[in-house]
Amino acid sequence: MTFVVPFGPQHPALKEPEYFRFEVKGEEIIDLNVRLGYIHRGIERALQERSYLHNIYLAERICGICNVAHTTAYCQTIEQLANIEVPDRARFIRTILCELERIHSHLLWAGVAAHEIGFNTLFMFFWRDRELVLDLKEMISGNRQISASNTLGGVRRDVKPEYVPTMLRVLNKLEKETKYYIDVCTSDRTILARCMGVGVLTKEDAIKLCIVGPTTRASGVDVDIRRDDPYAAYDEISFKVIIEREGDVLAKVIVRLREILESIRIIRQALKALPRGPLRTKVAPKIEPNEALGRIEAPRGELLYYAISNGTDKPERIRVRPPTYANIPSFKPMFVGGTIAEIPIVMASIDPCFACTDRVTLVDSHTGKARVVSFDELRGRRK
Amino acid sequence: MPKILLTVVKNIFRKPFTVKYPYVKVEPPEGFRGAPVIDKEKCIRCWLCIKACPDRAISVNKETKKPSIWHGRCTFCGECAEACPTRAITMTKNFELATFDIQQARSE
Repeated sequence: MTFVVPFGPQHPALKEPEYFRFEVKGEEIIDLNVRLGYIHRGIERALQERSYLHNIYLAERICGICNVAHTTAYCQTIEQLANIEVPDRARFIRTILCELERIHSHLLWAGVAAHEIGFNTLFMFFWRDRELVLDLKEMISGNRQISASNTLGGVRRDVKPEYVPTMLRVLNKLEKETKYYIDVCTSDRTILARCMGVGVLTKEDAIKLCIVGPTTRASGVDVDIRRDDPYAAYDEISFKVIIEREGDVLAKVIVRLREILESIRIIRQALKALPRGPLRTKVAPKIEPNEALGRIEAPRGELLYYAISNGTDKPERIRVRPPTYANIPSFKPMFVGGTIAEIPIVMASIDPCFACTDRVTLVDSHTGKARVVSFDELRGRRK
Repeated sequence: MPKILLTVVKNIFRKPFTVKYPYVKVEPPEGFRGAPVIDKEKCIRCWLCIKACPDRAISVNKETKKPSIWHGRCTFCGECAEACPTRAITMTKNFELATFDIQQARSE
């Protein structure tokens, strides 16, 4: 005898509306069904209606937390389309911004995870230190969260020499705090009891389902776009790819916290090696017919942009594949066999960002066939 | 003993990390992108700001024949301030823009 536990679209443990249908037998989860599409915003269509330069600010708003990752990926793809070389200084500044964002995103996630297991003290500590990174971002880019720093052919703002001592001081402080947090997370009994051996994703499953980002690195898969397909200035900087073997929630916490330490090292190197030179190159508004694919390592995993140009100042098509979309299949092997009490923390463990993910597919309820709706059809229906 | 207890005890004797915002205000850093303002004396009516704006937040005032920015649509990206050839548009440090009066949600 099995019961169905609906989880969402409106649920206190979910930060964004998405529907999960758990089939349970007693306490044990037997099956899981995911239904996406509650916050579809039609951004890919809107990207086709605006010019390349205006699209930067729309791409920035696909995800608020990883906005620098989205603009970097977008600008990189369009620069490939138009065959533009980015100045060296701009590449290094992009690297610094991306890594600052990774630190703040991982700290934010660690805070949310601590909150999901009911450890609110740790949650407050994580978010207190996240403020330090946000202050750095505000100093460099002029805003705490939405940086608006990237532009086609470079960056809009410089990292001035007088910022460097402040940044190094804050990074030192962060490094000390992060080491302490790793110590706490690996020794605290409460955390170990809730995270160890929970939501295990094996290496075979991670490879089979093509999982990306820290989720797959926690299962022992050695994948990192920063090293495998270097963008910005990552080919001139030495860093380690963090890997844990266990694949449970604790491994995901440790991977993310150790990545913060690695990001701090990358920022220090980038600040030291910051070359002199111009910040941006001129980009013509119209781009010849071409196609390009750009990918970067966002805080949550591989972020992929694909663009086609048609000779005008607007793109023909832009396709975005955010990391959470690739990570959704990992829910099934992580949940099945677990208990109901594990749901919030296991769901949070892939760092889901559903608003980036949502796509629309029309499925006929009688035949179960999916089909695509043309734009004319949509307009006709609206009249 | 849990390792976090020591920090918790230390924090009892520290002063609070949070700033009591509406009562205590923190000055935003140099280069902060707050509400944009237009200096009408400097404006030469080239309409470059209207072209640069990604959200179409800038329109032309019919009476004064000068541009005005509607904060309801503005995303404070600063493209207009960058595009302006005479530096008539500047980003201020003002970020408290909530208002009941729709006229105040416009830059002049």
